[in-house]
Amino acid sequence: MENTAFSIEYKPRTGSEAICEALLDEGVEYLFGYPGGAIMPFYHALPDYPLKHILTRHEQAAAHAADGYARATGRVGVCVATSGPGATNLVTGLATAQMDSVPLVAITGQVGRPAMGKDSFQETNVMGMTLPFTKHSFLVEDPDELYPAMRRAFEIARSGRPGTVLVDVPKDVQLAATGDNGYRRLREAPPPVESPGLERAAMLLRNAKRPLILAGHGVTLGSAEMELRLLAERTGIPVVTTLLGISAFPEDHPLYLGWPGMHGQASVNRAIDRSDLLLAVGMRFDDRITGAAHKFAPRAKIIHIDVDPSELGKVIKPTVGIAADAKAAMRSILGHLGNAPDAGEGCEQWREELARSQEPERRRKESARDEYGPIQVMEAIKAAAGPDLRLVTDVGQHQMWAAQFFEFTKANSHITSGGLGTMGFALPAAMGVAFAYPEDPVWVIAGDGGIQMNIQELATIRDFGLNIKVAVLNNGYLGMVRQWQQFFHNRRYSETPITGPDYEQLTCSYGLAGRTISEGDDVEAAVRWAQEQEGCTILDFHIDPEANVYPMIPSGMSVNEMIEEDGA
Amino acid sequence: MPESATGVALNTIEVRYTGGMLALNRLLMTLQNKRMPVAGFTLGGDSDGMRATILLGCPPESALRYTAIICALEDVREARPAETIEMALIETSRDWRAPAEQSGIEAHEDDGTLVASGEPEKIDAFLAALGDGVEDVVRIGPVARPEAGGGV
Repeated sequence: MENTAFSIEYKPRTGSEAICEALLDEGVEYLFGYPGGAIMPFYHALPDYPLKHILTRHEQAAAHAADGYARATGRVGVCVATSGPGATNLVTGLATAQMDSVPLVAITGQVGRPAMGKDSFQETNVMGMTLPFTKHSFLVEDPDELYPAMRRAFEIARSGRPGTVLVDVPKDVQLAATGDNGYRRLREAPPPVESPGLERAAMLLRNAKRPLILAGHGVTLGSAEMELRLLAERTGIPVVTTLLGISAFPEDHPLYLGWPGMHGQASVNRAIDRSDLLLAVGMRFDDRITGAAHKFAPRAKIIHIDVDPSELGKVIKPTVGIAADAKAAMRSILGHLGNAPDAGEGCEQWREELARSQEPERRRKESARDEYGPIQVMEAIKAAAGPDLRLVTDVGQHQMWAAQFFEFTKANSHITSGGLGTMGFALPAAMGVAFAYPEDPVWVIAGDGGIQMNIQELATIRDFGLNIKVAVLNNGYLGMVRQWQQFFHNRRYSETPITGPDYEQLTCSYGLAGRTISEGDDVEAAVRWAQEQEGCTILDFHIDPEANVYPMIPSGMSVNEMIEEDGA
Repeated sequence: MPESATGVALNTIEVRYTGGMLALNRLLMTLQNKRMPVAGFTLGGDSDGMRATILLGCPPESALRYTAIICALEDVREARPAETIEMALIETSRDWRAPAEQSGIEAHEDDGTLVASGEPEKIDAFLAALGDGVEDVVRIGPVARPEAGGGV
């Protein structure tokens, strides 16, 4: 007679279970995804594991949400999609994350191995498709390789210069029995930073008369905000940031100047033009920063620190190039500076000069606070949300206004798509931020073009009760393109006027609340109302259709060709 | 005497990688994606894995940067500078052994054609030493020096 009390049924672990176990072993809490045929075995296994899956309404949004989560937390974001259209819908999100060096792992289902290469239903070569913008990718055809591939994917995504990793798993591999969870780390920790350049960098910093620190996203990615502040304060060198470097340094700090580039502050662009030393940390001299690269910082020696050695000399040839993690490199430079009394001396006059150069911009900002428009909206949000605000912006004019006029004092509180400039990023990315920090106020600022690109995510936001506030700066145009048409295409507004829904009614149909605000309405009251509501609200600000972002350096030109607002 | 095959500075990178076609695909995509100035590409394999030898027509500092990009690829075990050689197919009735030795090139006869290979400057010196004795010459390269594993 069979003794059922002691019979143990051996149940081999499946590929799908191996994926879930790898996710748990990596400490994953949230996955953002959308099921479909080829990923069904994974979704079948998922409920048995303490992993929180967020069902988005589009795979692109899943990728952006994972991206937003990763940017906000510094942890690896995870998104999931099925084969074919599910995988192709991830593409924009993967490219967005990769361009901004965000650690992200995407898991895609693939048709079963016997069906591969036969134009099967929902078959696409997602690995081939994503090669240019993934740091690495795996097509796992051996079930026993699935767990180690997953673990390795996380290691690759977060190591060195972070990036995106795709793991494509055929359906039958998800169903197949797998072996043990064997995994051995393949790479050692990076060696301590030892570069003759570091000592030289310290020497250059000591001797400079008009130095600047230019901090990029690498400072945030490397959690080097404290080192940046220490270095700035130790040397007294003013700090400017890239767009993605915004919030790596507190903007209320007396050494903070602003950010340069195509739509950066004129005074900051001029400061770079006049500087004699630029310490560029964790940035890659994007063309939006440099304009005409050969005219960028023409008087400056350049110290370039980046974790990716291939960035050194790519655009700007550095005087000293240091391939190192921002945190380690700045610590080492601080060590080389030691207690030398001369560090930071001699640039007081430079700081005074810079402070004077910023006065007109400060005055303009002060006066604009009283006028209905983007600046007033930003000021109201800042006041209502308080210092814990996390701001997620979309792409376009509003993105530049937010970067210009917000004062970010909390580290890593500004999240935006910089490199790829992906419209439709903000709303789903904010979901990732809100899951990561449910207690913090999360605001989205978007244009009326971009917000419509992933507006379906209002349903996801409602389902999870996310406390995301949305400000749409609605000018009835694809505003940045219209502005370019105004300046460079003789006001030929070809296909840039755009309509949208009534956002009040739209939010209502999603079970959320919204308001429309026009000139003459009380902006502060509307923003306060939104902040006080439970859950998501949308404020639709109807602004001047032809409001422009100033200054503007035309593409490929230099600070000398900068277009400024009349009277500036 | 014909001009050498190219006037640009060529840098050779030898890349050892694993991962088969997918890895090769990623390598090729990286070359294209980063717009590397590829002047030659040979592929071989041995028991130690696959080897791609890439000729880049660019300044040495750019080649170093491109090498760093290739090195960062997960499938790549090693990417390092390699030697560049030039080959010349020569018709000559003159005795070529002594000039070849003096020039420091390698040469042999194959079905009446002299096959010479070596560093581009040394090939130049060899051809100059043969002088009027060169009846015809076809210069091939620069190409990467084949090592164990061979080329395709």
